[in-house]
Amino acid sequence: MQIDLWLSAVIFGFSVSGILFLVSLGISIGFGLMRIVNMEQMLYYTFGAYMTYTMLTWTGNYWLGMVAAIVVAAFLGFIVETQLLRRVYGREMMFTMVVTFSVFLIGIGLVQYIWGLDPKPVPSPTQFMVPIFGVKMPIYRLLVISIALFVYILVQIFLNKTIIGKAIRAGIENPQNVQGLGINIYKIFTLTFVVASGLAGLGGALNAPLTMTGPYMGFDMLLFAFITVILGGLGSIKGTLVSALILGQVISIGGTIWSPLSFVAPFVVMFFVILIRPTGLYGVAGKAFGFE
Amino acid sequence: MSKIFKGVLGPFLLIFLLLVARFIFPHKVTFITELSIFTIYVMGNDILYGYLGLVSFGQPFYLSVGAYSAAIYLAYLGHSPLVALVAGIISGFIVGMVLGPFFIRLRGDYFALINAAICAIGLFIVEKLLIGITRGDDGLWYRSRMGVTPILDIRMPNNFFYFALLILLIILLLYKFMDHSVLGVSFRAIRVNERKMRFLGYDTFKIKWIGFSLASILSAISGALYAINFGFVNPSLGEPSRAAEVLVATLIGGAGTVYGPFFGAFGFLGIKDLVSKYIERWELFVGILTILVLFKFSKGIWGGVDFFIIEKLKTKIKSFKQKRYPI
Repeated sequence: MQIDLWLSAVIFGFSVSGILFLVSLGISIGFGLMRIVNMEQMLYYTFGAYMTYTMLTWTGNYWLGMVAAIVVAAFLGFIVETQLLRRVYGREMMFTMVVTFSVFLIGIGLVQYIWGLDPKPVPSPTQFMVPIFGVKMPIYRLLVISIALFVYILVQIFLNKTIIGKAIRAGIENPQNVQGLGINIYKIFTLTFVVASGLAGLGGALNAPLTMTGPYMGFDMLLFAFITVILGGLGSIKGTLVSALILGQVISIGGTIWSPLSFVAPFVVMFFVILIRPTGLYGVAGKAFGFE
Repeated sequence: MSKIFKGVLGPFLLIFLLLVARFIFPHKVTFITELSIFTIYVMGNDILYGYLGLVSFGQPFYLSVGAYSAAIYLAYLGHSPLVALVAGIISGFIVGMVLGPFFIRLRGDYFALINAAICAIGLFIVEKLLIGITRGDDGLWYRSRMGVTPILDIRMPNNFFYFALLILLIILLLYKFMDHSVLGVSFRAIRVNERKMRFLGYDTFKIKWIGFSLASILSAISGALYAINFGFVNPSLGEPSRAAEVLVATLIGGAGTVYGPFFGAFGFLGIKDLVSKYIERWELFVGILTILVLFKFSKGIWGGVDFFIIEKLKTKIKSFKQKRYPI
């Protein structure tokens, strides 16, 4: 009985990790490449979850809702990046933080205006249970884990094997030099931003059946996503994955021990990690990241 | 003598205007009381944002520290609201002094987020961990335990209004003094170029520590006043999602000025009052307003007033004097 409980907690934790990874990837890359704090990334997550709800009520097909979530989130990201964030690059960090935070507030207002204040339930697409070591697990959680893994592999291939991916990695190291090579860094910024917001929308669509879809769902996720990014080290995709894995387990196992711990334990972990090692687990202490 | 008078005139004028407003709009007493308390809260954030150039997403934590220390004193230990206020101030001082050294050595963005983290931890402590003392989400009620204070019985809302104005006046005078002192100038110098300050031989760590503690004390005073005013506290005072309010108010008013916090609080509470009549939630409005202020009116209300009216008046007076007494 006890073993069953812990095993299901661990698998539950992995699915939380998957969603944390999808959602915080955009913040991590945005920090590394564009040097801005993407507070409004969670907006795409919220919109993704709501789009899933809408498509589900219209057509009854969850997978169509997921595609719609990705498309709408990417489109929103494109609009925000080209219309607003263009004017913010190069300004001080505090300024970008407040700007993106107010974009986030506007987005929450829009969500309230379009979908109303009360939370919307999104049913899970499959109710199948799969036995793993004698523990019955819902197949949907396993699906979330595999999709997140798939996205991680795709992103790694994209960054390491394609020329645009290499340009992005070079941009994380030094944007000026990339521009000096004749590459339009702003196009790369837009592309990265659109991909990242699409992934956040995917995270929202995947998380919609697991949580309640409400206007403020982005706020809680914002804090968790930032903890993930900071724990892993800014601009490091591997660090984001590792810290998402750690935090997923912290949330899940902490919640199994005492349910309020699932909310506060990640904050305690982040609190001590920042105080002891301000660069995060995989962060680079270099001039490019503001550490000297 | 005239120099002292000049420094004191502004705060007294502001308080006088508030008093006049109270008699012109008698049914707006609670609004003005809330405005003066909120102004103190915004001032605390203004020291961080406007003077030191640090964004904090955890100001509600410091507010709830003050509110809960005052509330716990009133609910369990004593009866005097004045002692409760002192308890709030002391708790704010202790929190600022203890957390300061850990927080201010972090870079700006980490500072903002670790404050959000401590805000979430504080909410957890108040809501779940100390549920036996704070009664969790039900809130702590103690209005009937509050005793009579000498001279002015501040349990009455009408009398509390005068008390809040008095506190605001004292804090405004001290704030104005700080603005002109070496401390205020060093705060601004750190915002502009911290490395140069260190090069010139100033201990920037200590100066930031003082600023952080001052901000924490001001927030705690505001929290204690909230607690005395309402007669109860509940954890929603310290919710991380409310961190935006004080930040937006600071921006609207004009960051880094003496009267900016007052106008920011006035603008923010006024808009909230007006908008909430028509729209249920006002996030959309607050967001658009912040973007507008950031890109178009980066000086805020008081910055604009200062720039367009007072500076022009000064140059006019100067030219007038030069005409009369040609050198």
